[in-house]
Amino acid sequence: MNPLELTLGIMTAVGGFVDISELVFAAKAGSKFGYALIWVFAVATVGIMVFGEMSGRVAAVAKQPVFNLMRHRLGLKLGLVTLFASLVANLITCAAEIGGVAMILNYLTGGSFRLMAIVGALALMASMWVLPFKWIERIYGLLGLFMIVFAVALVAIHPPWGQLAGGFVPQIPKGLSTKEMLIFAYFAVAIVSAVMFPYEAYFYSSGGIEEEWGPKDLPTNTITCTVGFGLGSLLSIAILASSAQLFTPANVDPQVLGSSALEVAIPFGAVGLVVALMGMLFAISGAAIETCMANAYSLSQFFGWEWGRHRKPWEAPRFTVAWACFFTVALLIILTGIDPMQLVEYAVLFSILVLPLTYLPLLLLAGDKSYMGQYANGSLGGILGWIYFVLISLAAVGALPLYFLTSGGQG
Amino acid sequence: MKPSGRLKLVSQLLDLPLIDSEGNYCGIVDDVEFDGAVGKKTRLAALLVGPGAYAGRMPGWAMWLIRLVAGDRITRVPIAKVESIRSFVQLNGNARELGLETSEDKVRAWIPRRGAL
Repeated sequence: MNPLELTLGIMTAVGGFVDISELVFAAKAGSKFGYALIWVFAVATVGIMVFGEMSGRVAAVAKQPVFNLMRHRLGLKLGLVTLFASLVANLITCAAEIGGVAMILNYLTGGSFRLMAIVGALALMASMWVLPFKWIERIYGLLGLFMIVFAVALVAIHPPWGQLAGGFVPQIPKGLSTKEMLIFAYFAVAIVSAVMFPYEAYFYSSGGIEEEWGPKDLPTNTITCTVGFGLGSLLSIAILASSAQLFTPANVDPQVLGSSALEVAIPFGAVGLVVALMGMLFAISGAAIETCMANAYSLSQFFGWEWGRHRKPWEAPRFTVAWACFFTVALLIILTGIDPMQLVEYAVLFSILVLPLTYLPLLLLAGDKSYMGQYANGSLGGILGWIYFVLISLAAVGALPLYFLTSGGQG
Repeated sequence: MKPSGRLKLVSQLLDLPLIDSEGNYCGIVDDVEFDGAVGKKTRLAALLVGPGAYAGRMPGWAMWLIRLVAGDRITRVPIAKVESIRSFVQLNGNARELGLETSEDKVRAWIPRRGAL
């Protein structure tokens, strides 16, 4: 295990963990329910650790990424349904991320939203064309570490640490009306979806193949997933806690992306605001690239095309055309004038519906000794995997009714 | 696993990715072709690759849509070209020689060959 590679991997995972949906839902959850939803972030983070570790292990041992083996496991018909659903979920997410990039560029430069969307998307596409996989992963992941300023800001505003720690204990706040209970449940489901977005597993396992992982890389995989995702999740929790501390007493409902950045501006002024916006810009840009590439990976792997950004664009031509098309369509969705915050809601909603279909084949594969041999799921991994599968299935069943009953969390 | 041995078609072969002798992905086992006759042994003759090979596996309306989007090309890979079957099918020939690179080559012609590090 190379310590430098391991450190860089962890830092990349930390910086790349947060995306627009976590930023939005963490801030909203904090302002509406104080610290009471922190435990949902914690539970969902353990879930993405479990499935992230499995997807990396399958890539390292079976030498095949998730979607290659998904079709083999699910068969052509169900595989196509899963492919279509995940492509749509990732495309909506990608459009929301591009919208987020445009909003932040708009805050930083004052340029029009649509122009910033085009500029941002073109810059991201250019970086995807020029840079090989490892550089893309590292540059956006490491620059996303600016997000640490949210954790520093939380410390600076001296939150009630006892109450904050109490948020890690599973709870439902007392005295909620039925309507508020439903909104609380909707936020819980949305947070699970935002933390466990399916693109994360596709991107992570394909990245393992891109970097030619083997069984010797399994300790790195485990540490990156647990430590990297764990620390990354703490940034989301910091955003939630700052929101609870600053916005709840002031009765502020953070409806726009920029509200999250204000959490840093309050203790650190204009410099803090710019650092926070830079962190958000790189974190969301990284997520835009990941969602787009996850779609190109899924499509290529499902149909057996050449794929990968360790190759030159013309060496994997259909893969290249796929990511370019997905990015362009995502940009066009944003240019229609749809509100990016609305897209975040749709992305979270659609992703939770797809989540069980995405993670079931992974769970089956990771436990299959004929593929994985001695590296198949042990009893702990298997039990945790199935518990989370039941959890996300329940969340998927509840997502649509909760969305309509609460008007998307608005009440 | 060798292709000459006994294998479970659905769980051990169908829908597995194909990798050629140079390590390139070059398709998926979309269907298989048998030889043999009544009273004779049935043997695997070839792997069928391409959207046209979905025909027996998809409902008619879906197949119409697939033909519209992806065409109905089928490439036949003789079983002698299969080296081994694991979590993927390893071929002992080059994808281009086996006719599995046609679509990639068509798209490749449109992509500028510069700019990437």
